Amino acid sequence: MHLDSAQERMMRGEVGEAKQFAIEIATKVGDAVGADELVPIKSAHVLAHYSSLHDAGVEVLERFADSGGKFAVPTSVDPASIDLQHWRSFGITEDYARQQFRLCDAYAKMGGMRCWTCVQYQVCNFPKEGETVAWAESSAVVFANSVMGCKSNKITAGMDVACAVLGLTPRFGMLLEENRRAGVVFRLGLKGLTDLDYRSIGYFIGRGAGARVPVLSGLPPSVTSDQIKHLGAGAAAAGPVTMIHFPGITPGSKTVIDATGGETVEEIEITRSALGEIEADLNQFSGLPDLVAFGVPHLSVNELGELAGMLEGRKLRKGVRMYAYTSSQAYDMAERTGIAEAIEQSGARLSHSTDAEISPLKALGFRTVLTNSAKLAEIVSSEGEVKVGYATQREIIERVTG
Amino acid sequence: MNPEMKGRGLVAGSAHGEALVSQKAFTFAHGVDPSTGVVTDVRSDVRGSNVKGKVLFYPFGKGSTTASSWFLEAVRLGNNPAAIVTEGVDLSAVIGSVMARLIYGRQIPVVSGIPRAAYGVLKSGTRVSLDGESGKVIEER
Repeated sequence: MHLDSAQERMMRGEVGEAKQFAIEIATKVGDAVGADELVPIKSAHVLAHYSSLHDAGVEVLERFADSGGKFAVPTSVDPASIDLQHWRSFGITEDYARQQFRLCDAYAKMGGMRCWTCVQYQVCNFPKEGETVAWAESSAVVFANSVMGCKSNKITAGMDVACAVLGLTPRFGMLLEENRRAGVVFRLGLKGLTDLDYRSIGYFIGRGAGARVPVLSGLPPSVTSDQIKHLGAGAAAAGPVTMIHFPGITPGSKTVIDATGGETVEEIEITRSALGEIEADLNQFSGLPDLVAFGVPHLSVNELGELAGMLEGRKLRKGVRMYAYTSSQAYDMAERTGIAEAIEQSGARLSHSTDAEISPLKALGFRTVLTNSAKLAEIVSSEGEVKVGYATQREIIERVTG
Repeated sequence: MNPEMKGRGLVAGSAHGEALVSQKAFTFAHGVDPSTGVVTDVRSDVRGSNVKGKVLFYPFGKGSTTASSWFLEAVRLGNNPAAIVTEGVDLSAVIGSVMARLIYGRQIPVVSGIPRAAYGVLKSGTRVSLDGESGKVIEER
């Protein structure tokens, strides 16, 4: 990989230890994937939650922070493994919280935005169309490439911080126009889509696309950015998908032909029975759960308002917890507008700055989780310790409230 | 049988070990217990197998961008595979391997570009050696 003179100086350690460590990581990864150079980024999004970073990740982030590392571009952060405000009341132990707060401190020391959300694009990180970014969080990468028209690879833990410290990322993969062209068409002819359908459609695409970039035609014009957020999250959970062309939504792709560049590619019909198979696969039980989890990825304040409406006049059944996960910013707005109170009157709780899939669910005593998130269902069942149920938000509320 | 396969060497180093062969998208994130090396993912066709010391074959990565840190934790605890071979480039394997070298001084070569159909002739348990520079994967007889 070609380095310019400023980058050579970083490599020699003349610009500090943190930049040297960062550029070593970035160039080794760049060389591995055939990148020709490091290019500037406009923003970064990094991971700093203990459940997935483990002790190794604490070592890495502290090494960056303690050697003087500072983020060179606006940098946001994924949710923590605990609600940073109310963690005690959620049953988190001191020892667990301590490791999470080590990550929080290291991240803050480096100058990151303390948003603690997986939907930074709805909260605080707003690059423009055409800009190159280096984001972790698989669902956010799909949103950046597919809706915002940004260019991002799915930057994974360790490399995310390196790119943020450098303000640079190796040029390869989704940064190159030729790799962004759609290589498989998914056709949707179904009407009256539920919240669960959007997630299952995403999951189906993620499974079927393999390494190809998919294009999805047939979404209703009324589709919301929240629905696309959940669709993309389902896709990224099921496979290596980093972008989905949505004709009419994705910048540069007004039509399927724009997305494929006119090439003839495989076409796959999304049928009701295919979605039924996804639901059956993700749904492992049908009884009353220990926990209902909404908000993987984080719910927007609009979605919290909808949830409050559905819970009106209902009470959670005994023995069932219901947590709605959101960003700290949406939480604040929900608090100020009465939405939080409306949700909590049912016995449900709002939780911010964390999310279900990165919480220590088993350690908190949950053996069964019910959700409308394909991403959460995939992750929880992958770990194999907690059983997961998968149903629409309406079905779930009817099942667990009186 | 095809005793020698040629892919693209992504991360250098040489390794030997028993093959652990998956035909499904694979992830270390929530899918492998770093404290044991055992594959926990219920959708994996190698669930219950241990990745420790194996040459791990899978077609693609999937899911969470935390996969490289789960991988690195497995390395920290000594439960990592000896090498990884994929069909498509799995960036989390590349990053995990690069970090393993820089942080723990461990060499875990990564090769990509070997299609499922080609490596699928290998049975789990077959001994293979590979070179992460040349991308050669050889079945040991």
